[in-house]
Amino acid sequence: MGSQRIGETGLSESGPSSHHVPYGVLHGINTSSSGLMNQGSAFDFGELEEAIVLQGIKIRNDEAKASALFTGRPSATLEMFPSWPMRFQQTSRGGSKSGGESTDSGSGINTLSSKAELQFETDSPISIKASSSDHQQAFDQLQQQQETATDASRAGTSQNQSAAKSPQEKKKGAASTSEKPLDAKTLRRLAQNREAARKSRLRKKAYVQQLESSRLKLTHLEQDLQRARSQGVFMGCGGAGGSVSSGAAMFDMEYARWLEDDHRHMAELRTGLQAALSDGELRVIVDGYLSHYDEVFRLKGMAAKTDVFHLINGMWTSPAERCFLWIGGFRPSELITMLIQQLEPLAEQQIMGIYGLRHSSLQAEEALTQGLEQLQQSLVDTIAATSVADGVQQMVAAMAKLANLEGFVGQADNLRQQTLHQLCRLLTVRQAARCFLVIGEYYGRLRALSSLWASRPRESLMSDDNSCQTTTELQMVQPSQNHFSNF
Amino acid sequence: MHYQVESAAAAWSYLMRVRSMEEDQMERVLRLASQSAVVIFSVSSCCMCHAMKRLFCGMGVNPTVHELDQDPKGKDMERALMRLLGNGINSTAAVVPVVFIGGKLVGSMDRVLAFHISGTLVPLLKQAGALWL
Repeated sequence: MGSQRIGETGLSESGPSSHHVPYGVLHGINTSSSGLMNQGSAFDFGELEEAIVLQGIKIRNDEAKASALFTGRPSATLEMFPSWPMRFQQTSRGGSKSGGESTDSGSGINTLSSKAELQFETDSPISIKASSSDHQQAFDQLQQQQETATDASRAGTSQNQSAAKSPQEKKKGAASTSEKPLDAKTLRRLAQNREAARKSRLRKKAYVQQLESSRLKLTHLEQDLQRARSQGVFMGCGGAGGSVSSGAAMFDMEYARWLEDDHRHMAELRTGLQAALSDGELRVIVDGYLSHYDEVFRLKGMAAKTDVFHLINGMWTSPAERCFLWIGGFRPSELITMLIQQLEPLAEQQIMGIYGLRHSSLQAEEALTQGLEQLQQSLVDTIAATSVADGVQQMVAAMAKLANLEGFVGQADNLRQQTLHQLCRLLTVRQAARCFLVIGEYYGRLRALSSLWASRPRESLMSDDNSCQTTTELQMVQPSQNHFSNF
Repeated sequence: MHYQVESAAAAWSYLMRVRSMEEDQMERVLRLASQSAVVIFSVSSCCMCHAMKRLFCGMGVNPTVHELDQDPKGKDMERALMRLLGNGINSTAAVVPVVFIGGKLVGSMDRVLAFHISGTLVPLLKQAGALWL
């Protein structure tokens, strides 16, 4: 997951959620990088990748100077992180995402002192300076140096200026804050830039993912077609088209990543239970799993803002899960009913507590269901009204009603989240660990069932009811014969 | 469940009517909230309010409902409720439904659900006298 190859500057993980730091360069700073990662969105792999690429090239070009510069400085490789307030001057790096080739025209390593930088600039591949009001003097010096530079630098500069704004602005912001304590405005701008960059990376990744899944689907369809032709049966398109909106695609991608995390958590739980860890250690794992579930509800909350229909129609889940869908997710009372059987033996008090939880959940589900039904009814009334003079007004009213959907999905997810937390409160640590394992395995089996069902062999027409659309006429022959026999 | 509409309370004396119109809507909201064991401030067309009412009725509680859209001072009451709920609510999100139990503010639907699931709602209702065993 995520490209870790040095050569690619385009794909990058969003910082906080990535766990891989494969670059050899980073070995020396692994601890600090994890510290960096803990800082949330401050750590940016996109910057890192670029910086490392550029550093690699630069080192190749000017090995002696690089080593000379990087000695006598603590954690020299940290200088390539632009977001961090370094005590010494930083320059922006060239190489926007639009061109790996720009690395040739610009080296982007944060250099150490202005003097060394001057030296560096004259001898090494041209670097592109960001102008910063805070460092006018230093930059003026550099500018003088730069004016004697070749056209490549100017081309590089213009290229840099026309390049993606957010990394550029980030570097500018970073450069301007390298020597002064960060002020709130800059901090906020930095954070916004990081967020924007992260969002655009996610979008790009979602798009790529969409493309790849479409490609896979295409190959599957071709295979199906060939297989069916060989069997003499023509099959229509089976699976429906994937999600179309970008918000939906992004959520699907994040959900896929969450599922992978889920596997990891489950493995942790399994080994934890088998290894007979102490209660305290098990509690840590269980709490981790709880926050893992909190994470998915947070993701769904964000997705509900952009595409609530995607959540409600359940296209993000597997078909079997979709069967049991209730307002965009699982029904808490069903889950508890399933768990009561699997979690035996339970203490008397626990049994009462869990049955009480199921009862409360049922009441809440009933209330939300009725609220949603009223929403549907009022929507129908709004849209079907024939006496409305202004169609636009009708639509506006309908849209206003639709906006309530997000609230209902939110409350349903809130109910699910509260139910899981309460379950954990009612159970002992070991029981809670087993409970989560049961839940994870249950949904895993549902998903496996979905894929098995989708790939089951379609034999003859008459034997099973399949999803063939183009063979309906043939299908209708048999039942219609029964019909016509009556006439 | 019974609906209490302020303007329909014609039994009040003229003096009381004047006083209620002059008093701060916040005070009015709090006063209304303490008049019954369970008070829901709602809007008649709001579906989440409908869900809230169904929740309490399903538990066997008889809540007092004040429909803000049927009250002449509804807008001010809504603003007062928004202040009571605290900030963090953006202007586009609906304020209602808001629930008071035993005169004390409980909150919106997510708080009510959280209390219900954690098992603290029913004791609260019993304490306020809205539920009997």
